[in-house]
Amino acid sequence: MLGEFEYLLISAAARLGEDAYGAAIRREIEGVTKCRCAVGALYTTLDRLEAKGLVTTWMGDPTPQRGGRPKRMVRVTAKGIQEAKGFFRAVSRASRGLSWAIDPVKVP
Amino acid sequence: MMMRSGWLFLSVLARALEPAERDVVLGDLAESGEGVGPATRHLLGLIVRRQVGLWLAWRPWLALLGVSCLAAVSLSRIVFRLNVDLHKYAAGYATSLTPPQEVAFLVLLAGAVTVWSWTCGFVLGALSGRAVWLTWSVFYFVVLDSAWARFVRMGHIFLPNPHTHEALLDSWPGTLRLLMATTLPLSIAALLFAFPALAGAFGGVRRRRLTVHYAYLMASVNMALALFTTWSTGWYDPAHLPARWPGVPWSTRLLPFLWVSLPAAYLLACGIPAARRPKDDYPLPPMVPDRPSPEN
Repeated sequence: MLGEFEYLLISAAARLGEDAYGAAIRREIEGVTKCRCAVGALYTTLDRLEAKGLVTTWMGDPTPQRGGRPKRMVRVTAKGIQEAKGFFRAVSRASRGLSWAIDPVKVP
Repeated sequence: MMMRSGWLFLSVLARALEPAERDVVLGDLAESGEGVGPATRHLLGLIVRRQVGLWLAWRPWLALLGVSCLAAVSLSRIVFRLNVDLHKYAAGYATSLTPPQEVAFLVLLAGAVTVWSWTCGFVLGALSGRAVWLTWSVFYFVVLDSAWARFVRMGHIFLPNPHTHEALLDSWPGTLRLLMATTLPLSIAALLFAFPALAGAFGGVRRRRLTVHYAYLMASVNMALALFTTWSTGWYDPAHLPARWPGVPWSTRLLPFLWVSLPAAYLLACGIPAARRPKDDYPLPPMVPDRPSPEN
């Protein structure tokens, strides 16, 4: 079972697709949750997900925007997608019939 | 200017991370346009998490308990002894040792301190990885502080007595001994310990393990020094206080030297399987350098 931050990270990486890397994932998570995302939390969670085989990472090309430094690219594996589906189903089942689930928050 | 010095500071701070991760994180912070303050907070957060993560493995604990605490106490005893004997030799302290015997004893002890310190430092670096700054600092302070404690216990430092208001420095010999103790970190013995230990730690972090041949060589040198130092202390002790101190049995003399040689046994134990398993299995952050295969 994934943790909530792990789920957020996998969802952000899946949404970004080929453009998923550390800074982009962080922006995506901050945009969705409207909360600050710590770099430390991001990279330690990424390591944990990679150790579990839920994502794969590799070093991308350096860009001038980053001062010539490389990106850590991320791709969600098939196992990662399965785990994310499982988490979503569990949260949906757990939320069934609850007031905040009946009147869902509007997503902009 | 402020911005540039701030990023220079961040680059220095980021050296606590693995090189690959360092570049990625600094690149992310540059791209997101964070100010120096928030970027420092982010970087410190990651460093703390990485350092805590290192201590979830058993190796840094083995380094801390086995080398920084246990072996360091034995090494401290030898460093203290070398320090005292070098001062005695410099002051022309009269013993019944022949000059060649005295020089041989001091050279053997100095060589032993150097080799044991390097070996302990290497094993600290190899076991602790990026946590070496902590295990090495503990190692350094245990060696010196144990030597200080020995100075106090043996009366080389007179602590002031609150009841008698006894003066701290009441005689010249006392002053000299106090000077000897307070300058301990800068003494030849302490330098013979500190620099090889530091060099060993850097080597240990970089190489993690020795090849089998070097491991055998270091273990042999450690063992030979343990035996020769035990042998030479055998004729050193009775020569200093012939009437009152007959010396201690060889088995008791050998024990601290064997204890401080234990890190060499670790090198040997790790060097042998390394010949069959060259790939480093130390848990580093899983930074994969190549693209994943398409089936992922």
